[in-house]
Amino acid sequence: MFGIIASIIDGVLVGSVYGLAAMGLTLIWGVMDVVNLTHGSLIVAGMFALYLLTDATGLSPYAALPAIVVGGFAVGLFLYWIAVHRMIGRPPLMSLLSTFSVNLVLVGLGTAVWGTGLFNVPVSLPGLTLQRFTFPGTHILAAVLAGVLAGCLYAFLYGTRLGKAIRAVANNRGAAELVGIPTTRVLSFAFALGAALACVSGMLIATLFPFTVLSGDAYQLKSFVVIVLGGFGNPAGALFGGIALGLVEGLATPFMPVSWILVIEFGLFVAVLVARPGGVFALRRT
Amino acid sequence: MNDVMLDVVSLGAGYGEVQVLWDVSLRVSRGRVTTLVGANGAGKTTALRAIIGSISPRSGHVVFGGADVTRLPAHAKVERGLVLVPEGRQLFNAMTVEENLEMGAFSRRAARQFAHHLDRVFALFPRLAERRRQLCGTLSGGEQQMLAIGRGLMSNPELLIIDEMSLGLAPVLVHQLFRALKTLKGDGLTILLVEQNVHLAFALSDHAYVIADGRVFTEGSPQALATRPEIRRAYLGL
Ligand SMILES: Nc1ncnc2c1ncn2[C@@H]1O[C@H](COP(=O)(O)OP(=O)(O)O)[C@@H](O)[C@H]1O
Ligand SMILES: [Mg+2]
Repeated sequence: MFGIIASIIDGVLVGSVYGLAAMGLTLIWGVMDVVNLTHGSLIVAGMFALYLLTDATGLSPYAALPAIVVGGFAVGLFLYWIAVHRMIGRPPLMSLLSTFSVNLVLVGLGTAVWGTGLFNVPVSLPGLTLQRFTFPGTHILAAVLAGVLAGCLYAFLYGTRLGKAIRAVANNRGAAELVGIPTTRVLSFAFALGAALACVSGMLIATLFPFTVLSGDAYQLKSFVVIVLGGFGNPAGALFGGIALGLVEGLATPFMPVSWILVIEFGLFVAVLVARPGGVFALRRT
Repeated sequence: MNDVMLDVVSLGAGYGEVQVLWDVSLRVSRGRVTTLVGANGAGKTTALRAIIGSISPRSGHVVFGGADVTRLPAHAKVERGLVLVPEGRQLFNAMTVEENLEMGAFSRRAARQFAHHLDRVFALFPRLAERRRQLCGTLSGGEQQMLAIGRGLMSNPELLIIDEMSLGLAPVLVHQLFRALKTLKGDGLTILLVEQNVHLAFALSDHAYVIADGRVFTEGSPQALATRPEIRRAYLGL
């Protein structure tokens, strides 16, 4: 019995990192109605950034976090101007196609440089043992960092002038322009912020599991499941969505082979889309 | 000759293939209230959009405070004090009353005196102060219009342009809003109004333009216009 509870708790710890990843995706969707299909590549970029930084410097993986936030932000700005800017206000299919193509280029580049082999970032952190079950220290710390970053995002969006401007642009872009908000600059900033969140979550995932250049797809799909659970365009909901997904994973793991987990997750995805298209934790959007 | 604050010269504008506005020229004098009247679909809103920069003019010039601002994006015009309260209010309905007002003061020119302007708006519309923490979607139509005007005032305008302020509102509220505009005029604010309620607008205005089919049909002082039979019939319902 305790094994199942422990598995659920561990699932929730990991799920909060999925929530952080999904926050990046849903922030971009909520602000500019763009489904960012480079999301998976950004997650992988965070993983490899961590690998390279720790490999080169020998520093603790967590010391790489600020550098990865800054790097992810810069990459996001670049992606916004090459792949997204001209698609703003056009039908969603346009940005879907353009980010999809850029994603293919990024995956191709990654494959050319690193191949498709398995990579691993060794992290030594003591775990927390309760009865016969040990919660890995990396899982606990990743969950704490994901929670802190989610809190920071929330405080930024609701407590600062720029954060409020992002919400205003999301709410009514035309009106935002009329009150003097430079909406294009705000859009590029929001995209870059979403990209930075994806990179950081990739970095945290890399402290948990081994990864390859092709890992992005699976985590991007998880982000979609989380967004559907948490409500479209709602960054606060994404964290809860991630925790819910982790809970489901934790609950399923003791009972079935790992290959079935994805089946369960996408079954859930479809069920939620059909039953509650706005998401389980959706805030009412006026 | 008055001090001209806004000088619109031969403005042409439209949407896609369709041209809506031809050769519209108008002037707004400092410290005065100017009104545009005209039938539905005449092109008044389009003219304001082209002036503010929500759509780009196809021809002509917009000169504001002596500088040509025709090609400036809307947000840059706000920074110079050219502010539009748009038709249909266009509030941030997922944000609170206070946040809407805060966003009104986003520009650098307005942010400096945020507290001062907030006091002024709350003095003008005490109802907004009572509801400052509410989501603006929960306000009544009249309160939403007060908030739209309040948000415009938060931008610290040199010229406040208001499009169809009284549309869909009960007469009591319309009178209340016009009283507020009178106060603002008394404080020396320059205002450009687009208004269906021609009686009240004329009573407040110093100068008026009649727009018909995308062109300036005629202009003059409200008193002079109100004596002309064709205008009385078309716009004053007399
Ligand atoms: N967004 C738009 N796209 C296409 N046509 C428009 C748009 N807005 C207004 N129009 C057209 O432009 C003309 C003028 O409209 P408008 O400027 O809104 O008139 P008014 O404000 O005087 O009622 C109308 O024929 C209207 O159908
Ligand atoms: Mg109109």
